[in-house]
Amino acid sequence: MSLSSHTGVMNFGFLQTKNAPAINRSVGIIGAGPSGLAAAGLLASQGYEVHVYDKLPKPGGLMVFGIPSHRIPADRISRGVRDLERRLGVTFRTNTKICCSAPMHEEEGDHFAADILGLSDLTDNHDAVVICSGSWKSRKLTIEGSDLAGVYSSLQFLFPIRAIKYAHSNVSMPDVKGKKVIVIGAGHSAVDVVDSARTLGAEDISLVYRRTVAEAPCGKFEIDRIQEMGVSWLEKRTPEAILGSDHAEKLVVHNGVTGEREELDADIIVSAIGEIPTPPFQKELGLENVRKGDVRWLNMTAMDNVFVAGDVLSGPSKIGKAVYSGLRAARSLANWLDLKAQSREAEYNFDADKISR
Amino acid sequence: MEEQKTLFIDYSKCIGCETCEAVCRFLYDTPRIAMSRTIDGEIVPLYCQHCEKAACQRVCKRGAIHRDAQGAVLHDPMKCRGCETKDCLIACPYAAFFATCKGVAVAKCDLCKKRRAEGLHPACVEMCPCDAIKFIDRTAIASLKTEASEEAFKRVMAHIRPKKFVD
Repeated sequence: MSLSSHTGVMNFGFLQTKNAPAINRSVGIIGAGPSGLAAAGLLASQGYEVHVYDKLPKPGGLMVFGIPSHRIPADRISRGVRDLERRLGVTFRTNTKICCSAPMHEEEGDHFAADILGLSDLTDNHDAVVICSGSWKSRKLTIEGSDLAGVYSSLQFLFPIRAIKYAHSNVSMPDVKGKKVIVIGAGHSAVDVVDSARTLGAEDISLVYRRTVAEAPCGKFEIDRIQEMGVSWLEKRTPEAILGSDHAEKLVVHNGVTGEREELDADIIVSAIGEIPTPPFQKELGLENVRKGDVRWLNMTAMDNVFVAGDVLSGPSKIGKAVYSGLRAARSLANWLDLKAQSREAEYNFDADKISR
Repeated sequence: MEEQKTLFIDYSKCIGCETCEAVCRFLYDTPRIAMSRTIDGEIVPLYCQHCEKAACQRVCKRGAIHRDAQGAVLHDPMKCRGCETKDCLIACPYAAFFATCKGVAVAKCDLCKKRRAEGLHPACVEMCPCDAIKFIDRTAIASLKTEASEEAFKRVMAHIRPKKFVD
């Protein structure tokens, strides 16, 4: 038998063996990132009618709009999405934000949303909903001067670089050509910011971290690599203030080795110190309990038939964790609807499910 | 003879995102491809290369490791007695045997045997966002190797076999 080939495709429908008959159940998925697409693939493979909603103009989430394209080939994701559409019949509704408690335009990418729906629009129209909305808010610096022009969070900096392709008038690229850029943090997004700033023609780049290279989450290999590219690595420096009249001019840091206060010249300062999950209806959904595992059903929120998966549940992590969570939530959802259809909800054994968590 | 297919990971393309491990865990509970963090902080998946001369097969006293028609090196739990010496686990040059707490207590990649029987590729290959994992004929591996992939592979080997690779 010849193996079906999906070369060049991130095959979210990898579980499908043959065309599953439609089962007359509809699921709405909020967010087309790794967890949402993995959940969509599993459910569509089982014959579900799947609708995926995303605020951005293109599915893929941070795989497309956050992580630079030299790390993840964008066409591999878009071919995977097309495969979901054509082979598995998944419907995508982009530029559509599912309304949440937080004010609009607080998260990166909100300005792309042309259509706004409430969660009840989804629960009314689908048999179940999976929330996979990710972590789209950057943790912000709280030091003096953090609101000056020229100070960015990692997502504020990285997002427009990928989003500009969609020619939205609200998106403008950070202008770094010939400028001095300081990046704060030593995680993978800090490294991504450094790489992107370099590609965009920054004159001088420094990476400032409060601990040492041994503790850098991105690891010594990456730090060595960017140093070889000419980036200055400044460790044991804790940011204390940003100085400037209307625009960032200097970053003041405390040098943990010498105990001295240092002033570093900068035109642009990017803080890459982590992201925060952005769940719609945090309280109503009882996400705190889902996180603790205190739920009636794996990955189900306090609302009946509303499930949650990925970074929005467990905080920013990695694509693999999001994929796993999306697959688990999708399987849990299908099992829940099956049991419910027979009015046997009480038979769920949460402890058995916990074993392989 | 049928094509002898195996996995090849280009470590220079891998971003350490853990998707391969995640889908393997979803399908098989104990993942047979596992992430490891090197001293230098690179996060890499360790995997079975289905060696032509498989050390695990050679050392297994029970004959529990054999090769199927497509070249996959398979572990047979029917013959395995889960020996305490874990010779297979120690013999594997790529650290691709995994201890479990269940049954015969080892697990290894079978190139998604059941998926292959249905005409599908291994799950990790399908879901890798970076196209870093290939399911290809053994003879074609050489053509995929680049300077960058070889260097990255050496770093991984220095991580799992430090003694052998120290100059």
